[in-house]
Amino acid sequence: MKRTLSTITSACAAGALVVSGLGSAMATPASAAPTAATTTRSVAGANNGQIRNVIYLLGDGMGRTHVTAGRERFYGSNGKMVMETMPAQGYVSTYAVEKKSGQPGQADFRPNYVTDSASAATAWSSGVKTYNAALGIDAKGTVVPTVMEMAKQAGYRTGNVSTAEITDATPAGQMSHALARGCQGPVYSDKSCQDTAVTGEKLPTSDVRVTPIAKQIARNGTADVILGGGLSRFDSADEQALKDQGYDVLGSPASQTVATGADLAAAQGDKVFALFNKGNLTVEKSKQDAPASTEAKEPTLAAMTQKSIQLLDSGAGKQGKGFYLQVEGALIDKRSHANDAAQTLEEIKAFDDAVAAALDFAKKDGHTLVIVTADHECAGFNIIEKGSFTNAEAANPPGNVDGSNTANNSTPTRPYSANTKDATRSSGIVNGAGAGDPHNFAPATFRTPDDAAGVKDGSPEASLWLSYLSGNHTGADVPVYAYGAGSEKMQGSVDNTDLFDIMTGALRVS
Amino acid sequence: MKSLLAPTLLTVVLLAGCSGSPSTDGPEPAATARPAAAVTEFPGLAAATGEPDVPSLAQVHPRPGQAIRAAGPFDDRFQINGLAFTDGRVSGAVRITSDVSTLLELQVVAGFYDADGKLLGTSRFEHHTDESAGDTHTGAPSESEPFSIAVPTEAAAKAVSAAVAVPILVNE
Repeated sequence: MKRTLSTITSACAAGALVVSGLGSAMATPASAAPTAATTTRSVAGANNGQIRNVIYLLGDGMGRTHVTAGRERFYGSNGKMVMETMPAQGYVSTYAVEKKSGQPGQADFRPNYVTDSASAATAWSSGVKTYNAALGIDAKGTVVPTVMEMAKQAGYRTGNVSTAEITDATPAGQMSHALARGCQGPVYSDKSCQDTAVTGEKLPTSDVRVTPIAKQIARNGTADVILGGGLSRFDSADEQALKDQGYDVLGSPASQTVATGADLAAAQGDKVFALFNKGNLTVEKSKQDAPASTEAKEPTLAAMTQKSIQLLDSGAGKQGKGFYLQVEGALIDKRSHANDAAQTLEEIKAFDDAVAAALDFAKKDGHTLVIVTADHECAGFNIIEKGSFTNAEAANPPGNVDGSNTANNSTPTRPYSANTKDATRSSGIVNGAGAGDPHNFAPATFRTPDDAAGVKDGSPEASLWLSYLSGNHTGADVPVYAYGAGSEKMQGSVDNTDLFDIMTGALRVS
Repeated sequence: MKSLLAPTLLTVVLLAGCSGSPSTDGPEPAATARPAAAVTEFPGLAAATGEPDVPSLAQVHPRPGQAIRAAGPFDDRFQINGLAFTDGRVSGAVRITSDVSTLLELQVVAGFYDADGKLLGTSRFEHHTDESAGDTHTGAPSESEPFSIAVPTEAAAKAVSAAVAVPILVNE
């Protein structure tokens, strides 16, 4: 496939940007917004030399408005999320294609404007458009290698970190090849693993494309460091297969004992496999609300990121070529699907903390490219004007009539007077007065550092009003932020398949 | 569940281009030349031989008229409401209690038992979402999935009780 990089190239890179200075490691919310001191830095960031390491972080489902909402919630209108301080910034198109589609530019190309996480992961991992649910294959079912596989083969150390099950689409997109993302394991079934609409007839069960993803991950050695959730997908045979390859297995798939944050802190091996929950990791807000719970002892995404970097950069990584690490903040998407703004915001902050950990390392290292983006937007997350209401709350949509100017009237014509709030559909702020009504479409409201002391979350006085369009993905472009040599290639607008070229180019494995 | 037994070879296949490789109609056989780094075969891993068996169904012995749960890998992620064995069917609704916006895959395997609690045979219910066909955007969120599984013909004369287990569950 011939892809077109629609980037602003070196001429753009030459332009200096003014960026906010960064504190080290975790940023502190609200009251301690990023320092006001600014420095002038080239768009490439501080490390203009050859790249040794690439750290690719994505907030699953994180659209531009998710970032803005996180900024306003935690830093106020004059602050920035850590990711927003990175020197190169742009947008990424995310569309998928239909089954059996050709690639863009081919005669049989058939786009699907809204991607899922599997298709998006395949786009940046393997550089091809594919159908929703496909992993590591193109839309016609052909296996395509991933950045992580290529990096591993070339001698880089590799890591894959997620707050989801490690067999979930995003992490699986780097270390498996499957017709269907639902073929996660621990066992095979025809319905979850086969797709005859793509293959014509059932594949033999020995084919990688219908091999449960957990079985693949436990045996292909693609990632040296594997941290996340999803212990239930793995069994005793998988544990043995991992150990046979030299992995330190924290916890135990055989006994279904989850790994702990303490286990991770003590880990020193070159190859580490640690799953901290049988399913997805626990949402940050739940851990905050129940700090004594077992789940609250799961490591944060930032802690997993820091530890992964330490493991990959030490030992063999230090003497070798460098490393390639993917980090996913998965629960932004999952809580956006649920239209739970309070939990979504905390997941955005947790993801940004992981970005801070990566960026802190990159600045000290001087040879690391950090890319921060998303796979797609989720749920049409939006910031509405304080005191206003959405169409979902309205008895009728906004008016579309202007008697004095016919040019302003189109189809359908509606009177302005009809645009009133429907008291049944909007029974009060959903994290406040309307919390008890499961049918309520009202927004959730949150205080910010800009608010006066005493203003509460869930009150009409809180200044950040958040609403959702739906419970599903949208086709909006997503933001990309980058730091390090080569980051200028992400300035402007790129497609998600371009990220494959950028990363393989930086690692010189293309 | 059926074990994965037959050993195969690890193949790190040789380079045939990467992202730009032109696609062909239909899938490639797994053994043909394939881009360099993709790992496509696994030592010591046997291919599945069919739908999953659930060993725990042979370890329970429900009393006549009973419908009970047997253990599976995802028991902490769902409840079963209204589980009952009546008129030659076991039925109920799997209510997922973990994070759910879309139920991608669900398989409920039912075991049927004679009056002595001996397992006579199994049958299964399957839910599959085809994301590419837009299945995720129709209908209500799949938090609760009703199922009804009939006694297989060969066990119909003797089956007096049932047990169910869930070997496959994928939701997001």
